[in-house]
Amino acid sequence: MAEPQPSNIAEGASEEPALPTNAEDRKAAAALSSLDANAEEETGKDVDTEALGAAMKNLDVKEGKKAELAKVKVEAVDVTLLVEQLELTKFKATELLRQNDGDAVKAMSAYVTAAV
Amino acid sequence: MPQPLNSKDAASFRQLVKLYEAKQHKKAVKTAEQILKKNPNHGDTLAMKALTLNAQGHTTEAFALAKTALQADMKSHICWHVYGLLYRSTKQLDEAIKAYKFALKLEPDSAQIQRDLAFLQIQMRDYAGYIESRKAMLQARPALRQNWTALAVAYHLSGDLESAEKHLKTYEDTLKTPPPRTDIEHSEAGLYRNSLLNEMGEAEKGLEHLETIYDANLDRTAVMEARAWYQLQLGQSEDAEKSYRDLVVRNNEYRPYYEGLEKAMGLDRSKSDDVAKLTELYKELLEGNDRLDAARRIPLDFLTGEQFKPAADQYLRKMLIKGVPSTFANIKALYSDPARLKTIQELVEAYTPETTAMNGDANQTNGDSKPSRLEESRLFFLAQHYNYPRSQNLEKALDYITKALEITPKSVDYNMTRARILKHKGDLAKASEIMNHARELDEKDRYINTKCAKYQLRNDENEKAIQTMSKFTRNETVGGPLGDLHDMQCMWFLTEDGEANFRQDKLSVALKRFKSIYDIFDVWQEDQFDFHHFSIRKGQIRAYVDMMHWEDRLREHPFYARAAINAIKIYVMLYDDPNLAHGNTNGVNLEGLNAADKKKALKKIKKEQERVAKEDADKRDAEKKASPPKKTGGDGEPKKEDPDPLGLTLIETKTPLDEAVKFLQPLLEFSPKTIAAQNWGFEVYVRRGKYLLALKCLIAAHSIDSQQAKLHEQLLRFSQTIHSLTEPLPPKVKQVLDANSNIIPEFSSLTNFNDAYLSKHKDCARRTQSGLSARRAIGQSPQSDIEKNLVKALDIEGITLKEALEGLELLKAWKSDTKAYVEKAKKVWPEASAFGEGSDS
Repeated sequence: MAEPQPSNIAEGASEEPALPTNAEDRKAAAALSSLDANAEEETGKDVDTEALGAAMKNLDVKEGKKAELAKVKVEAVDVTLLVEQLELTKFKATELLRQNDGDAVKAMSAYVTAAV
Repeated sequence: MPQPLNSKDAASFRQLVKLYEAKQHKKAVKTAEQILKKNPNHGDTLAMKALTLNAQGHTTEAFALAKTALQADMKSHICWHVYGLLYRSTKQLDEAIKAYKFALKLEPDSAQIQRDLAFLQIQMRDYAGYIESRKAMLQARPALRQNWTALAVAYHLSGDLESAEKHLKTYEDTLKTPPPRTDIEHSEAGLYRNSLLNEMGEAEKGLEHLETIYDANLDRTAVMEARAWYQLQLGQSEDAEKSYRDLVVRNNEYRPYYEGLEKAMGLDRSKSDDVAKLTELYKELLEGNDRLDAARRIPLDFLTGEQFKPAADQYLRKMLIKGVPSTFANIKALYSDPARLKTIQELVEAYTPETTAMNGDANQTNGDSKPSRLEESRLFFLAQHYNYPRSQNLEKALDYITKALEITPKSVDYNMTRARILKHKGDLAKASEIMNHARELDEKDRYINTKCAKYQLRNDENEKAIQTMSKFTRNETVGGPLGDLHDMQCMWFLTEDGEANFRQDKLSVALKRFKSIYDIFDVWQEDQFDFHHFSIRKGQIRAYVDMMHWEDRLREHPFYARAAINAIKIYVMLYDDPNLAHGNTNGVNLEGLNAADKKKALKKIKKEQERVAKEDADKRDAEKKASPPKKTGGDGEPKKEDPDPLGLTLIETKTPLDEAVKFLQPLLEFSPKTIAAQNWGFEVYVRRGKYLLALKCLIAAHSIDSQQAKLHEQLLRFSQTIHSLTEPLPPKVKQVLDANSNIIPEFSSLTNFNDAYLSKHKDCARRTQSGLSARRAIGQSPQSDIEKNLVKALDIEGITLKEALEGLELLKAWKSDTKAYVEKAKKVWPEASAFGEGSDS
């Protein structure tokens, strides 16, 4: 549903001059690259430094749960086979093997039949 | 070990850094050289010089010099940092990360290096590394809010929502007084934290938190939407209804609000009891909103049968009398239901010029002098209606559009639709001509200009198309209009241009275009880099996280799939017949020649190719002389001219399948449900001898559409290939293959399998073609028989022009005589350009 246009706007007239971007772009780029320098100095004035110190002490968060998977034993021959046959990176091949108890046949079957 | 400079040179060095940062490269190089005169082995200066050279575009020299700098001063963090920056600029991000890490080891307190490292890590999606870096940055500046937020984002992206939320909360709890309302960063952080709660599925907590930030938050729409959503999730129907009603008042054309409102009121469109209530609801919403479309249009989605007709009638009349050009576009979604389609068709066909008066239209009773546009827009609507695939009848469509054009011959819309109908008839030349006519009716309209260029490309008029496009491009860019279209990442044009070249067997140019699409996606991936810093500094976290998720799925865009499939096709063709790399063979059939003649012929082709390339280069030179182009692109960065505009180097690849895999991997990862992607994946992998991956593609395609034509043929081919392997497969591979081959037909029963498929799908042209093609592949019957049957397949009822063209492609690929086929097809599609020039064997 077209709304009525304000009378001062002509249909099809371009709002901007033909070559607007260039100088502006450069200015924007300059502003972008100088961003690091300035404003970063302003620190939160309302921050309670003591509370902040306490908060910093509690920063440590739990470690990942991947430890279990890493225990699965993987044969180097199988990794090579997977890299060769499935065109995976070594890292991904190892991971795939680990997820399948280090069994190459199982791993390849799982990969080939994965649902799309 | 930092090498000391005397105080004057040290000052010069500081000056050098400043000059580099101000992008005054020439002066910077000069200053560097001055320092080096006295201290030729000063590592830092050498490094800065290398950095400057790189910025000027001398990448190779820069790397050499940076190496020298490192040799001069192994222990300088500046040298390592510069080395990292150079790798970063050539997109070898892994190497860059290594260099940064070295630099950071030498200078652990450098915020700059730490930051550069962090951005690279997140760019590479090394979440663990990024979290570490962000922790270090937070430890260095804990008072800065953005450091807390950034660490939260790092956890969020790595999938640890709880830690993310916890960090945001921890910081908020340290605030003594709430920040002022005008603090955008605070407002955004609040909403970000809330979105985390939502993502964690904690609706109750989320709503609770939302209420605490609701009043002060600056993004009204976001908080209102979130509140309504939570209330709906928590089953607080009355509150949810009120919230959604408020939202509808805010934006009454936004459909999701109506959906939310329906849900909040517990109304179900499929229950007949509720339909009455829904009708009532929309009637109420419409009151006082004369111009509102949504509340008028939505009921058509749930009304059926006898109730549908009057509602549709009312809607159509209103739109057509007013002459709303988009009426058909608003309606066509209803056509998925044949009953509604029929009702609409009957209604519109029955409208007469008197309909308006009979209806006692408001316009006329009010004495408004505006004449009804019903008749004209009815004709336009019907033309579109009969042009639409679900209700196609091209003769009628053409008839209606001609009548509409008699009333308003200068309408761009009508002419455009006429061109479109002609295109569907297969008359590409005429369609392009009419579209150009439409364009000339309004030369300032970019839309019609673009449409016209597209139709010209469909008609293989590449030169004309680029000329059309040039009316709206910045033609002084390096490379002219085409260069600008590349700069502006005008992907549709590049794709269509590539496909047009492909059709004309100009494989090198085609490949070049598809590669440029690939490159554009790379650029988009690269583009996110600046935002790792910028967004977090600006506090625009939600938009940033959205962008990051979008970037992760970047290549699932259909444009990528389309270009990638085309490129893969070309690479597979190149692998099957390397002679294609020599471009247009001018009809010379290289296969039938002996070695000496072949050599001669190739030489000739090569010469011809060089001539064309030279002509092209001469033309360019002439253009350059006429108007010396700037050496910079639109962004003021130096831009090199393309050294291989025709893609000749590109196509001469010795390893086409390796190149194909580059396109294929993202395709299979992000568009696995596109069956054509799986089809082409098979073609590539079976040629590479990666039978498990080929099988994977077959299994995936089978799960999408087990009867697909192309898949059928591939299943047969795979069975054949595996049966006739000369070298045995590794035992484990064989084991996997055997265990998962239940969809693969037995080699001994291929003929039966194929015949069963053919008889099952004798009413489907495409599948019949596939079965016939498979017959040829397994040598089931003589080729002449198969060809005859292919011609016969043109009789199949409902065969589309596209299917007929695919049949023609088969004959061409077999190098068979196409005469009989074309003659017969011409009778069915007399206007189709593709069958126009008769046999071209």
